[in-house]
Amino acid sequence: MLTKRIIPCLDVKDGKVVKGINFVGLRDVGNPPDLAMEYERQGADEITFLDISASLEARQTMLNAVSETASKLFVPLTVGGGIRTAQDMRDALNAGADKVSINSAAVTNPDMITECADSFGKQCVVVAIDGKRKGDKWEVVTHGGTRFTGLDVVEWAQRVQDLGAGEILFTSMDADGVKTGYDIEITGAVADAVDIPVIASGGCGSMEHIYEVFAQTDVSAALAASIFHYNECTVGGVKQYLRDRGINVR
Amino acid sequence: MMALRVTISDYGVGNLYSIRRSLEMCGAEVEVVTDMSRLLDAECIVFPGVGAFDRTMERLLPYRDGIRERLEAGVPALGVCIGMQILFDGSEEGSSPGLGLIGGDVVGLRCRVRPHMGWNRVSSADPLFDGVSDDHFYFVHSFHGSPTDPSATIGTTEYEGTEFPSFFRVHNTYGTQFHPEKSSVSGRTVLENFISFAEAER
Repeated sequence: MLTKRIIPCLDVKDGKVVKGINFVGLRDVGNPPDLAMEYERQGADEITFLDISASLEARQTMLNAVSETASKLFVPLTVGGGIRTAQDMRDALNAGADKVSINSAAVTNPDMITECADSFGKQCVVVAIDGKRKGDKWEVVTHGGTRFTGLDVVEWAQRVQDLGAGEILFTSMDADGVKTGYDIEITGAVADAVDIPVIASGGCGSMEHIYEVFAQTDVSAALAASIFHYNECTVGGVKQYLRDRGINVR
Repeated sequence: MMALRVTISDYGVGNLYSIRRSLEMCGAEVEVVTDMSRLLDAECIVFPGVGAFDRTMERLLPYRDGIRERLEAGVPALGVCIGMQILFDGSEEGSSPGLGLIGGDVVGLRCRVRPHMGWNRVSSADPLFDGVSDDHFYFVHSFHGSPTDPSATIGTTEYEGTEFPSFFRVHNTYGTQFHPEKSSVSGRTVLENFISFAEAER
């Protein structure tokens, strides 16, 4: 039986992990490969790096961090943030990423999804969808939730699947950063609407939230950042909690 | 004794970081070749798991018979994911013939959520699983091998209520639908066992 995946996400800026991560025993707490390996040791099923750098020079630094990580990490690595073209995706894959997520670029240029799927295989094309409630529906947003696109979240999810996405990373921008739990309703609607794996993201503040999203929706994976970074719980601790409640995890 | 020399075939798609590094950590001396004629005198061959069927076979096709003869003669080999699927006669995914070492075809997974992505169990009593304490391995695929001779299957996996073959052996060639190089400690154990096996068989 396929297990539910737990995916710690690391925000990387200029080749360094940002947000005050505090692990005992790590000499350089900002070093992406060291943190990724620590999460693998704890039982993480995959690792995601989100590049939040702004400059082109920083992108090369990020790719170097990806390469170093890829040579030490033995669980899948996804890289996202600032992927604008198929060439960006190729660079990230060549650096050692197993999957690459595209967000705003998929909205402005949907054909890029197909181009990447044809060139690199669907399985490494993750489309990140940010959604925000607007009235009684959910709309796709870009630029950190500041721009509404007019696209309905569920319809867009089906469209990116048809265009060749191998997986969807869905983030509720209403829930993101608030730590009150994943947005169950819209996340469940996205998972029901498509036949590719969906990763829930945004809003995780506790182990209970991860349990809720697995118990109440058909998502394949849950992505979380702060609960792991601030040592609130380990990946292993979360998995034991889920296992005790009947969720199938590794 | 000289370290085992493992030759990885590079089909020109995808990165080979993890598989290369994993094999090196198991003590093998690894070379990556784009000239597939080099496989004909390799001591041990690894077909890595990146790409689609036809693209993967493209460079191998001119040496198809020669490579199969070497594998039939007992050269130890490991095919991972698509590198396993190309050991079959052919695939629903493409139109190119495979290497034809394992009789049968590669067929689509019957399930709702495709690809089958994530960690799933592999039930196997094969010696390559000796010392594996957690039988979860990482999968990402939409097709699986369906051998005509059931004895080629040495491990299976259940997904969405259906059991499919996920681990194969023919002669001294192993094939895994899962990715040992992405399967953390359990994957490392399988690769270490494979390297020991290959050292004994070379």
